[in-house]
Amino acid sequence: MQKIKSLMTRQGIKSPQENVHDLRPIENFRIPSKEELRELREQPTDPQAQQEIINSIEEVYFSNDSLDIVKYELEKLPPVLSLQELEEYRDKLKQQQAAVSKKVADLILEKQPAYVKELERVTSLQTGLQLAAVICTNGRRHLNIAKEGFTQASLGLLANQRKRQLLVGLLKSLRTIKTLQRTDVRLSEMLEEEDYPGAIQLCLECQKAASTFKHYSCISELNSKLQDTLEQIEEQLDVALSKICKNFDISHYTKVQQAYRLLGKTQTAMDQLHMHFTQAIHNTVFQVVLGYVELCAGNTDTKFQKLQYKDLCTHITCDSYIPCLADLCKALWEVMLSYYRTMEWHEKYDRDEEKTASSVSDGSNVMGTEETNFDRSYVKKKLEHGLSRIWQDVQLKVKTYLLGTDMSNFKYDDFIFVLDIISRLMQVGEEFCGSKSEVLQESIRKQSVNYFKNYHRTRLEELRMFLENDTWELCPVKSSFSIVQLHEFKFMEQSRSPSVSPSKQPASEISRTVTLFEQYCNGGNPFEIQANNKDDETEDVLASNGYESDEQEKSAYQEYDSDSDVPEELKRDYVDEQTGDAPVKSVSRETLRSRKRSDYSLNKGNAPILTNTTLNVIRLVGKYMQMMNILKPISFDVIHFMSQLFDYYLYAVYTFFGRNDTFESTGLGLSSSRLRTTLNRIQESLIDLEVSTDTASTLTSAEERKEKVPSPHLSHLVVLTSGNTLYGLAERVVATESLVFLAEQFEFLQPHLDAVMPAAKKPFLQQFYSQTVSTASELRKPIYWIVAAKAIDYEQMLLLMANVKWDVKEIMSQHNIYVDALLKEFEQFNRRLNEVSKRVRIPLPVSNILWEHCIRLANRTIVEGYANVKKCSNEGRALMQLDFQQFLMKLEKLTDIRPIPDKEFVETYIKAYYLTENDMERWIKEHREYSTKQLTNLVNVCLGSHINKKARQKLLAAIDDVDRPKR
Amino acid sequence: FQFVYSHVGPSYFHSDFLFKFLVIGNAGTGKSCLLHQFIEKKFKDDSNHTIGVEFGSKIINVGGKYVKLQIWDTAGQERFRSVTRSYYRGAAGALLVYDITSRETYNALTNWLTDARMLASQNIVIILCGNKKDLDADREVTFLEASRFAQENELMFLETSALTGENVEEAFVQCARKILNKIESGELDPERMGSGIQYGDAALRQLRSPRRAQAQSTQECGC
Repeated sequence: MQKIKSLMTRQGIKSPQENVHDLRPIENFRIPSKEELRELREQPTDPQAQQEIINSIEEVYFSNDSLDIVKYELEKLPPVLSLQELEEYRDKLKQQQAAVSKKVADLILEKQPAYVKELERVTSLQTGLQLAAVICTNGRRHLNIAKEGFTQASLGLLANQRKRQLLVGLLKSLRTIKTLQRTDVRLSEMLEEEDYPGAIQLCLECQKAASTFKHYSCISELNSKLQDTLEQIEEQLDVALSKICKNFDISHYTKVQQAYRLLGKTQTAMDQLHMHFTQAIHNTVFQVVLGYVELCAGNTDTKFQKLQYKDLCTHITCDSYIPCLADLCKALWEVMLSYYRTMEWHEKYDRDEEKTASSVSDGSNVMGTEETNFDRSYVKKKLEHGLSRIWQDVQLKVKTYLLGTDMSNFKYDDFIFVLDIISRLMQVGEEFCGSKSEVLQESIRKQSVNYFKNYHRTRLEELRMFLENDTWELCPVKSSFSIVQLHEFKFMEQSRSPSVSPSKQPASEISRTVTLFEQYCNGGNPFEIQANNKDDETEDVLASNGYESDEQEKSAYQEYDSDSDVPEELKRDYVDEQTGDAPVKSVSRETLRSRKRSDYSLNKGNAPILTNTTLNVIRLVGKYMQMMNILKPISFDVIHFMSQLFDYYLYAVYTFFGRNDTFESTGLGLSSSRLRTTLNRIQESLIDLEVSTDTASTLTSAEERKEKVPSPHLSHLVVLTSGNTLYGLAERVVATESLVFLAEQFEFLQPHLDAVMPAAKKPFLQQFYSQTVSTASELRKPIYWIVAAKAIDYEQMLLLMANVKWDVKEIMSQHNIYVDALLKEFEQFNRRLNEVSKRVRIPLPVSNILWEHCIRLANRTIVEGYANVKKCSNEGRALMQLDFQQFLMKLEKLTDIRPIPDKEFVETYIKAYYLTENDMERWIKEHREYSTKQLTNLVNVCLGSHINKKARQKLLAAIDDVDRPKR
Repeated sequence: FQFVYSHVGPSYFHSDFLFKFLVIGNAGTGKSCLLHQFIEKKFKDDSNHTIGVEFGSKIINVGGKYVKLQIWDTAGQERFRSVTRSYYRGAAGALLVYDITSRETYNALTNWLTDARMLASQNIVIILCGNKKDLDADREVTFLEASRFAQENELMFLETSALTGENVEEAFVQCARKILNKIESGELDPERMGSGIQYGDAALRQLRSPRRAQAQSTQECGC
């Protein structure tokens, strides 16, 4: 009520809603009845009066307390009730009520439109609320449905699943990245295992994988790391490739090649490989040589390491030269074998590739195959080209080594061993790339010539020593002796063509078809084998070093001492000839035949005549021939040197036994012009004449003198002045016949020598044979002539003849004593000859020459004696004939030689006496063999018998005429 | 050890002296083997009888002097006697070889000795070598009697083995040393003809190029 009161007081209500709110607790507010309302209207409507009435309303009525108004009013009633008062009072209350009601009604009326208006808003609000309630209800219903369909858990699951999926993907990536980062370890492991293709494959895959993760920032680092690794792999691969050069391994190489193919660098690999091979050759040779040099130097001085290879080679000592060379070749062989096997691998690979290419030839790979084809042909070309380059490298390295040392003082067998190694190396070269190894040949030629020159010089010196020590005693050998029995000529027995390269590699010759590369492909080393054989070979060569060691030789010399052996020996030879069974060694046939007929070949069989020195020369010839076989390129030099051996021997024999200035000057033409030319040639080219005169004066250069030998001196033990020994006839025979024997041996060897002689130089050989070898037997003439000239005292005979009277008037029946004296001389000569022949077999040609010379000289002395006659009669001329007949008769009993030489010379001269003037003139013109003195004497002697003075003048003029063109 | 150059000519290595040596004795006593062992340091087990005379040379160092030995290895067989005898002349030293397993070869020593003293130079230095020392089990000649023989005949004496090389070098070196001593004491005159001794080319060479000579001598002992 309080509120109502305040509302009434304030006379204006601001908000109906407030009112509504306020009204709510008095919902049951009693709306005034009509009666009341009428009552109210009946009351004065003075607002003032009304307000006074309202104000007169007790305060309590406006109290909000729920006091009982009735009770309140009752209590207030005065204790004595008065109806009037009550009435009055009631009216007052009634008035108050009416005023209030009126006031309320006024207020209500006043507020009615607002109320209506407000009510409408409330209604519309209510409608809105009702709608919202419907929506809410619907929403709730839907929610309930949803609550039934999807639970919250399953939604959470889905969300989680999705999250998980994302995370798993991330984890995978992270793991991959982690793996990628760890690949490094695996890669280095693989590299250690030398699994290069695997490593590269892996690396490439990694790179590819990494590129898919490039949105991770850590990947870029990984990428660069992988790139580094790849480069590192390539480097390692290169190292691996370089290993191929020294020791080719198929699986290793296959891996490396695969790796390079993966990298797409097949061609680069090839280029690298060739560079590595070149490098390997250089390093190998350097290391080998350095090793030996340091080993020999014995200290750990490092100065050698800084040397150039070429200079290093000059530090090799003589005794390490051969092992070092062998090792050098072995090492180079390894390199070349590796190259060879590399090629082999590529060939095989190519074949396999082609096979697979042809079997899977679909169009899709055309591009790829084309590229590989290109690669393959590139590789093939490169490899083929590389062959000769590598061989050239090898040759140059070996050449440097070869020429680094002066080998001229090597032992013979050592040198041969070197040659053998090189010839084997050349064989390798031939097989390797079909090379003729010009570089090696040239350097070996250089060394050979140098070596051989030195060797030869020593041999010549030695030969001189032999010659000067030789007392020209017969060296007793069997009659069946032949030089092919000598160890040095063993190589000829082994029916090997002389043009085939030397001994020592029979194995490789038999298996010619198997190349060294095939033979040693799977291990071993051709130079190793040789080193193993070295001992045997050295033995061989050493054995030939002047000591025979041959079964063959044994049979040639041994058993000789037992005397029972000799007749058997003789018989056998004889039988051989009877049956016409030509002895195999036809060299001695001539001497063999002569033995049968010779008077002077008695007890010594028909053994060839040779000396210790001859044997030495023959052995040398054998060695030189072996040299020649090995040293094809210098065969000419060797033959040239060999000819010097013969030259020197011939020259020695001539100076020892044949040179005789007094006889030579008689112009008897004892030595043919050919022989003289030969001797002069030898003297000029080979003999160092200055040594004998004065050592200080060196007119000719030292170089030239090096090539020459001093003239030899005859041993002091040889006496050539005693008549008893026929002026050293035995020694002369041994010397001269040994020379002839030597010449025969050279003849025998001619075809062999000819075969190895280069075509351009063949004329030299022919000239040597035609001008030197064939003159050997011509030496007999001057040498034996000296004996013949001294053996018979021709001067004594001339004196005896001078005492004879030739102008006798009757025919004499008794010959003159000078004939007996001469015959006595001949008998003595014959006796001495027999004496000598007991020591030395005198071959028939020799005894014939001796006899011939003696008889010729005797006959010429006789003619000379007849030409000394001052006066002669016809009877005296007959006496001459008688004397000569007597001489011939007796002489023919002493010697087998027929016809008696110069018999005609004497007889014609004697008989010319009887010729008439004209005949004599013709005769003089026809017989130039007589000297002017002899012819003049003939004419003079005839004067007075059948030639007059005029005729004599004419004839003397004719002699002069004849004489003139003669000069 | 010594550096061996058997094939080297006289003009290559300088030497102070050149001695002519002989190896004599019966056939089969191992003369050639001794020489081969001396020069090549190897035993030659397949050797045959020598024909005539063989030759070998080697430079040895005796008391600081280089001596070139020019050794003539003679055939022991009787039939070659006439050939071999001619090589005796002018020998300065000789190895007289017998076989300790063969009394026959020992018994022949007197003849060989007579020949050597007669044909070679008067002052020839001879060393007696009892070869095949390695075959001691088959010995027929005792060391004692041989050394007595050597003493009586003023010979040096060694027992040698060409097989093992024992005393081989020594035999040559001792002989050469004795000759050198004789030269130094004036007992032997190298200038005399037929002494079997010549001055080597060392002096001349050293005058020309002393450095080279030195280098060579070092090479000789170094290797």
